[in-house]
Amino acid sequence: MLSDTLIRLGIAALIIAAGLAAYWGWNRWQMRRLGRASTGALLGLETRPDNTPAVLYFRTPECVVCATAQRPALDRLKAELGSGVQVIEIDAAAQPAVADYWGVLSVPTTFIINAAGQPRAINHGLTSKDKLKQQVLSAAATPSGGEPAQVRELEAAPVHETSEA
Amino acid sequence: MTKVDHSALRTNQAAIITLLIVAFVCNWAWLAALVMLVMAYGTLRRQPGFRAIYSEILKPRGWVKPDVLNDNPEPHVFAQGFGAVVLLGATAALYLGAPAAGWALVWLVVALAVLNLFVGFCAGCAVYYWLNRLRLPGFAKAPPAGTFPGMRPKGN
Repeated sequence: MLSDTLIRLGIAALIIAAGLAAYWGWNRWQMRRLGRASTGALLGLETRPDNTPAVLYFRTPECVVCATAQRPALDRLKAELGSGVQVIEIDAAAQPAVADYWGVLSVPTTFIINAAGQPRAINHGLTSKDKLKQQVLSAAATPSGGEPAQVRELEAAPVHETSEA
Repeated sequence: MTKVDHSALRTNQAAIITLLIVAFVCNWAWLAALVMLVMAYGTLRRQPGFRAIYSEILKPRGWVKPDVLNDNPEPHVFAQGFGAVVLLGATAALYLGAPAAGWALVWLVVALAVLNLFVGFCAGCAVYYWLNRLRLPGFAKAPPAGTFPGMRPKGN
């Protein structure tokens, strides 16, 4: 009886692991697809200043968690990293073509863009400030194609320098 | 179109996924049958079967916030009914001595609910909209403007 339950638990774990692997693979494919397209400025990143990592943040006006949790997390990130990161906010409802281009399926979704303008990570759903910070610093350290570079000093600056794209 | 609280739908999907995985692990065919009955009841009431978990527990305590979007409720009702029918087949297989087929159908429902919960793609809704394109009677609603059939609307 117990061994039967354990076998079933193992099968369930394997199926769930396969699902997670498929999800991970899909994310990797998305990054590669966007990476191939990033020889010029990607749609939605036209306002990004050169050599500045960015967080591309998709939200909608009706997304409650965007306003109550994701936006404050991005404000705290901006407060900590200052001019070392730019937050580009896009209303997925108002700009569905941009959301489709990036493969956004739900909001909030955040993309981490490195200094060279290449997407380095995707976060589906609410993402904490700490995780975003770690991803931005990691992207800043690998400006193009994964070659580590020196992480530059990220000085503090005022909050709310978000640009509406 | 009308206002549809997608938090209620997601809670419903989470409950279905959790209970069906528990049913599989514990080899409880009765639990799969119970989920099927709740989904069928919800379909008849034209609301998520496990709505009470959201409206009576999660929402009043502020643990889950409403996520109200302009959407068509009919495809979601159809999708739940579709899931209930698949689970009816699963339950029949489980009680008629075909456990492999029965649990495979249970996992199919789990997979589709996971797809809906985490990716925002409602396969049953896509089928509904496909039938709408074929102009079948009873499938009157078209997808929200700018939304791929079956995908969760990004907001209006």
